[in-house]
Amino acid sequence: MPDIYLGELEQIVLLAVLRLGDEAYAVPILEQIERQAGRRVARGALYTALDRLEAKGCLRSRLGEPLAERGGRARRYFTVTPAAVRALKASRTALLRLWNGLESIL
Amino acid sequence: MKLARWILTLAVRDATEREMILGDLEEERAARGGAWYCREATAIAAHAAIRRSPARRRASRSGDRLMSTLLKDIRYGWRGLRKRPMVTLTVAATLALGLGANAAIFNLIDRLVFHPLPFADPHRVVMLAETGPGIEFRKESVSPANFLDWRRQAGALTALTASAWWDANLLEKNDPERVQGALVTGDYFDALGVRPVLGRGFVHDDETFGRHHLVVLGDELWKRRFAGDPSVVGRSITIDGAPYQVVGVAPPRFAFPDGAALWAPLAFDPKTAPTRHNRYLTVFGRLAPGRTLADAQSQMEVIATRLAQQYPDTNRDHGARVYLLSEGWLDEGTGTILSLWQASAFVVLLIACANIANLLLARAAERRREIAVRLALGASRGRVIRELLTESVLLAVLSVGPALAFAWLALRLIRTAMPANIIRFVPGWESLGPDARLFEFTLALAVATACISGILPAVQAARGKVSDALKEGGRTATGRQLLRRAIVVGEIAIALPLLVAAGLGVIGTNRFLNGPQGYDPDGVLTMKLVLPDRTYPDDAARRALVERAVREVTAVAGVADAAAVNNPPASGGSASRGIEIDGHPSADPKNPPSVEYRVVTERYFGVLRLPLVKGRGFNTGDRAESAPVGIVSESLARKFWPGEDPIGRRMKVADTWITVVGISGDIIHDWFLRRNVPTVYRPMAQAPSDYFAVLVRAGGDPAALAGPVRQALLRVDASQPVFDLMTMRRQLSERTIGLQFLAAIMASFAVLALFLAAVGLYAVVAYLIAQRRHEIGLRIALGASAADVLRLTVGQAFRLTLTGTTIGLALSIALSRVMEAALLDIASHDARVFATFAGVLMAAALLAAYIPARRATAIDPMIALRAE
Repeated sequence: MPDIYLGELEQIVLLAVLRLGDEAYAVPILEQIERQAGRRVARGALYTALDRLEAKGCLRSRLGEPLAERGGRARRYFTVTPAAVRALKASRTALLRLWNGLESIL
Repeated sequence: MKLARWILTLAVRDATEREMILGDLEEERAARGGAWYCREATAIAAHAAIRRSPARRRASRSGDRLMSTLLKDIRYGWRGLRKRPMVTLTVAATLALGLGANAAIFNLIDRLVFHPLPFADPHRVVMLAETGPGIEFRKESVSPANFLDWRRQAGALTALTASAWWDANLLEKNDPERVQGALVTGDYFDALGVRPVLGRGFVHDDETFGRHHLVVLGDELWKRRFAGDPSVVGRSITIDGAPYQVVGVAPPRFAFPDGAALWAPLAFDPKTAPTRHNRYLTVFGRLAPGRTLADAQSQMEVIATRLAQQYPDTNRDHGARVYLLSEGWLDEGTGTILSLWQASAFVVLLIACANIANLLLARAAERRREIAVRLALGASRGRVIRELLTESVLLAVLSVGPALAFAWLALRLIRTAMPANIIRFVPGWESLGPDARLFEFTLALAVATACISGILPAVQAARGKVSDALKEGGRTATGRQLLRRAIVVGEIAIALPLLVAAGLGVIGTNRFLNGPQGYDPDGVLTMKLVLPDRTYPDDAARRALVERAVREVTAVAGVADAAAVNNPPASGGSASRGIEIDGHPSADPKNPPSVEYRVVTERYFGVLRLPLVKGRGFNTGDRAESAPVGIVSESLARKFWPGEDPIGRRMKVADTWITVVGISGDIIHDWFLRRNVPTVYRPMAQAPSDYFAVLVRAGGDPAALAGPVRQALLRVDASQPVFDLMTMRRQLSERTIGLQFLAAIMASFAVLALFLAAVGLYAVVAYLIAQRRHEIGLRIALGASAADVLRLTVGQAFRLTLTGTTIGLALSIALSRVMEAALLDIASHDARVFATFAGVLMAAALLAAYIPARRATAIDPMIALRAE
């Protein structure tokens, strides 16, 4: 498995999906990012990121039941693939290693 | 919100993703509201559009470079636009006006010409017309006998059906109403692909004479007069004094042809063979499966040739044409007028383009130094051009919104300005309004406009020696100024023909509306009656009714005088008859000369104040049993008795020999008939008509008499509806509504063009003065007066304007020739019109030039020179 490069927004999205577990679809993902990371992400950018992550094999999606409050449309739930988890871990390790010893400065 | 959803649908092509996004938005809409929804949806669409763009797709192969430069260009362009808000706003507003005008006209053409009829499978529905000598209209062109032969023989067409005009007198709950109906043959509804919502349509058996008193009601009539009661199907109602059984109700909005509100079977009396001579049917059909329009056409030609051999008396030289209904149904001339409008709209857009090009040239001149630096640092010229073009495209796309808003307003105005009784003859009018096609057209036009107006300035900006531009104090190359002047000259040159065309249109229309008619249309009230055969079967009955009607109406208080006529002026109806002059037999007895034919009561000439030039008018002595007489118009006298006195001479009008007893003045019967059409008048008593109009000369306000006069006519026959009751002035106005429209739209374009051309000249003069600040300052310092400076600057503008106007005049003359040919003589060219509009244009242009020139006189030489 070749290394997957993850951009910052992509990492944020993946982490938000992981935090949400079974309930990860666009609306709460956006909420998570806003609340936990304190960042406003444009909805269009989120959809682009989700689309890209799925194409890269970092996310899988499934459709839920059609819901009345969505005008009869189903939710699309996302789950993080093992490969993406590996990539997240790798980038975390790399960052932590770099952080090591710099706590006093920052 | 629908719009936002629609934009999103356009941008996100993947259905699963779209459903997800729409679902997410829907879920949050309750908490966040509609405005939020729209904003978010558009933003997402923008993201998705960028993601899908071709540059992006290519970029994913060649490593994001192209995409990022495009994005950079857009960002850069956006910053450039925001930095100069005034220029941006001016250009965007100019573009919005130009694009909006085009969008509105596009919508008109799209709806009226390309998609006028709301039928199922419209490209299979055809209309058939007989062609041949003496057939002027294609709508009513087929004789019943020919139709029946066609129907038997044409295999390439299914459901061949005919319709005829029907003025129906509906009497329901003692309230008579004249209803527009159509008599149609069995397959009518099938041919048009329309299914009644209640009951049934007609079948062939319904055409059996004697069993044909059946009716299908239109939706509007059914709801209005029968309260939308479904049990009306099967009931008997009274139409034209006879019982008709209701068999069905048509679907909503179906009112074809001509706004028909009810339909009955067209049945031919078997006792009299169907005529091959009278051509009054409109024929429709549907292409048989697998057959094309060309198949149908060639088959109809074979049939027509056969019929011509079989019945040479009536069918010699007669052919048949098959049109697609959308094409055949359109009035001849509509296409011409609409193309004229579209051409005018394009001219306006072209002027807008010129202005924008000018502004961009100025912008490029300001940025010369900057661009030169970038070129010097190694930017490619192509890259610079692309960046500048991106900026103009961005501008154009930004103006699409306001343009559509402008078009929407214009269309609303156009739609509401047309009276309802005209609209029903214009299929497609009701459906005017923005739609997806309009959006696409406007967007495409905007991008094209941006490229056209942006390419020249962009190329100019990227050209030229870098070293020149970088030199301190380098003046702008003269070439560019030449270009800018040429653009202004061009603008003025194309604005003038538009002004002249509009002027001719307005003058022509005004002449028909307010000019001399040959009679006095003020103070006259007019109304129409159509007598059913059943209640008024013969001449005697009709004569008696007309006489009583005129008598009763004359007795109404406030009525000074009253008369009846078969076709009053400006009513849209006309009647003509072949004539023969005693002693001058016509060369071709089969095709005798035809003249306008009017049947009038005694007081007709008095009521209309139509002068009698010679001889006498009709009087009570002209009875059915007395010698047949007639009055001819001056034009008829001149044409058929040149240099002779027609009084006492004899002529044959529709198989009756009459003696001419008087000569009347000429009038304009209708604007599309030329002025002074040869006309013969006959007394109503000698030649009663089964339809007529009552004309009332009022003592005071004619409109106030409408109620009492209607009451008087109801006293004569309570079952007889009176319709089209209005003043003669109103009737004139309605008859010329098309012309008024034509003139108004052309005039709006002309004003727009004039305005834009003036703005263009203003900008150029201001720019040239800014370039010459230094020189002007020096002149002032050396003692030039304000007048000298004005002469210098305005003089320059004057030369530009004069050149433009001269070219424009040549173009105008060419255009007026075309208009004359296309518009039936309504726009006769007149040297004074040309001179006037050239003057108006010059004045506007000089005024536009004066404003910046005036400012130039206030240049402080100290400041101007210090800037050096």
